[in-house]
Amino acid sequence: MLKVNSLIKKYGKLNAVNNISFQLEGGEVVGLLGPNGAGKSTTMKCIVGLLRKTSGEITIGGYDHLSVAAKRLFSYIPETPHVYDLLTVKEHLQFIAQAYSVKDWQTKAQEWMELYDLSDKQDKLGRDLSKGMRQKVSICCALLPDPQVLFFDEPMIGLDPKAIKNTKKIFKELKEKGKTILVSTHLIDGVENIADRIMIMKDGNIIGNDTLPNLKATFNNGADSSLEDLFLELTKDE
Amino acid sequence: MSEFKLLLRKDLFILINNIKLILKNPLRLLPYLFVVGYFSFFYLRRGSKKTESGDLDIEQFQDAADQLGEMSFTQQNLMGGITLLALGFLMFQLNKATKKNVSFFSMADVNLLFTSPAAPAKILIYYMLRSIFPAVGGSFIFVLYSTAQLNEMYDFNIWNLLLMSMGLTLFFFILSPIRFLVYTLNTKYDILHYVKNGVFALGLILSLMILIPGMMAEKFWQGMFAWIGSKWFDFFPLVGWSRGIITYLGHENIWIAFGFIAVYVISFLLILNLVIVHSGYYYEDVLESTKSNEEVKEKVKGKREASESSMSLNTKKKLDLKDFGTGAVALYWRNYVHSSRQDFHPLFGLYGLIFAGISIVMAVISNFDWFNHAIIYGYLATMLGFYFLAGMGRTNVGDLKKPFFILIPASWPSKFWNIIKLDIYQTLIFAVILIIPTVLIAQLSWGLMILFPFCLGTFYIAGFAITLTTQVGFDEGWVRKLIKPLIVGGVLFFGILPSLTAGVFAYIISKQLVYAFLATGMGMTLVAAVMLHVALDIVSRLEFKEI
Repeated sequence: MLKVNSLIKKYGKLNAVNNISFQLEGGEVVGLLGPNGAGKSTTMKCIVGLLRKTSGEITIGGYDHLSVAAKRLFSYIPETPHVYDLLTVKEHLQFIAQAYSVKDWQTKAQEWMELYDLSDKQDKLGRDLSKGMRQKVSICCALLPDPQVLFFDEPMIGLDPKAIKNTKKIFKELKEKGKTILVSTHLIDGVENIADRIMIMKDGNIIGNDTLPNLKATFNNGADSSLEDLFLELTKDE
Repeated sequence: MSEFKLLLRKDLFILINNIKLILKNPLRLLPYLFVVGYFSFFYLRRGSKKTESGDLDIEQFQDAADQLGEMSFTQQNLMGGITLLALGFLMFQLNKATKKNVSFFSMADVNLLFTSPAAPAKILIYYMLRSIFPAVGGSFIFVLYSTAQLNEMYDFNIWNLLLMSMGLTLFFFILSPIRFLVYTLNTKYDILHYVKNGVFALGLILSLMILIPGMMAEKFWQGMFAWIGSKWFDFFPLVGWSRGIITYLGHENIWIAFGFIAVYVISFLLILNLVIVHSGYYYEDVLESTKSNEEVKEKVKGKREASESSMSLNTKKKLDLKDFGTGAVALYWRNYVHSSRQDFHPLFGLYGLIFAGISIVMAVISNFDWFNHAIIYGYLATMLGFYFLAGMGRTNVGDLKKPFFILIPASWPSKFWNIIKLDIYQTLIFAVILIIPTVLIAQLSWGLMILFPFCLGTFYIAGFAITLTTQVGFDEGWVRKLIKPLIVGGVLFFGILPSLTAGVFAYIISKQLVYAFLATGMGMTLVAAVMLHVALDIVSRLEFKEI
């Protein structure tokens, strides 16, 4: 469903993403982990077309990632939830419904708003929402078109415990529905139970990309060590 | 899916929500009612005068002008001066178009729109077409304002008002597509440095178009606008075309006016076509430029701390500054570090050197017969305006709302002083470096060595205090937008303009610039003192509220 081949992103002389290749099969959930500045967000922004890649190839569902056809297939939840100051919560969802040609959007929007406790705030303007609520709007907007692929960039930041629990539940439901998910997060336990595969990035390189048991076996940490231990071991400075 | 329909609906929602916000508190519209009343008064007054004394039309003025027998230098300089202002604005806009952080979008657009299956080229065209509305609104207000002043001199009707508005609207409007075109071409072909060189060359050519005729004339000021103030300059793109349309009131040749409008329309279609052909995947660069734009906006609002990133010349400089002291002095230290990275020296940098250098060069050439001191006076007055705007444009006022600012254990006046101390030092050092050589070389009055720095300081403080009062005093964005013009207008009409008028009178009577600066300085001392008092009061209330 997603193929990234020899992706390089440079900022001046600095390689933020250093010739990485990976792919996600349909229905696969992959957790993207790494310390700050590892290149996770840059990779994701290059994939969704918000940053110009220096070189490499990216396809989504067989289409070039910048094509309109590819964009019909995915949704993106950014790390910083920017919304339109002067659109209400409901109007944001209406806007997305039009952009992605979502049929019967009102019923679906109502369901997502109820799940994220936004129903009573649907007429609030974007500028009057807290950061957490903006994040909820951002997630609802991404889920409304029911896309095949979802890119979550630090989705839990700013969410209250109930919303975090709901988001984890949604990951499971989406996985059961066969959706492909790439989720970048610092909350390791959030992906440990649902991810089919873990990718660990450091300094723009992928230093680990496998299932959790295989990663543990490869890096000799013992069966009872957690993903957190593995992550800390792999990303520690030499 | 129709992208235009989608975006139009989004903007309609935004417009409706804006109106709802205003209707929640209609008292905010009071300043605007005052403005409407002001314009109406001038128009109604003219209506009643017309019936009493008959028309005083353009022909009578033309006859009077013809009797003079020759083109007066005043007329030429007036026309040239206005053209120069328009050229300055054009150059400013072109220069702005070459900045890396040009963006026409918001971060919400980036996150919600550019990741959606909307065709990027159509988004770009929609935003380009939408940019005509602010141009229409702005030029309509400008025409209303200017015609209110000239109403008694000219016979205005809907037809010529429409043409005047058209001349201004087209000028302001076309700048936006040009910026879109530069942006589009640069994102696809990476040609920014060529465009920058082009803009620089244009600036050089325009400067030469003033310098050459000025030096050829007996006196510089008699010839400096001979070229840009002449009729043939109407053919100069944009500024000339608009001048040709607006001066319909004078030449009354409808074909000339329509000819220039047609040239504008053809240019727009050409730009539109170029944008469509070359847009490509422009939006891949939108994220960074939009982010940097919004950071600047948020800094002013106080959502972010002032950073060293924008306009910095020396960001990689390794610093090893000792502490300046404890308490509020830490704020001064922070500004000092920031400034050290922004320029080559924290107190006096490259930009200051350039501006001071221009004045000194003018002082040197004023010793030749063909140059006039009046140009130096004009330059010094421009510096006052420039520093007023610089004060208003300070982005670090947002820091005053930051918890660290409020929580630093020091008295309020001490914190306030430390936040503006570096600006004041920089302003005074710049003023001294500019004025002392200028006065000595051009043999101006020695009193200017004291009065120019003083006036520059008062203008800077007045501008800074206005921004501080509006940004820190009013939390609600809409109140800020409505109150700021009121405060700026109030300070301008009741403070700065009377001070400048006093200066002009003093100059007319004494024929000496030093008395003009003395009168202006006295007036501006009052303005700066009142504005500082208001700012201090507002900020001390804010501190109390926060605690």
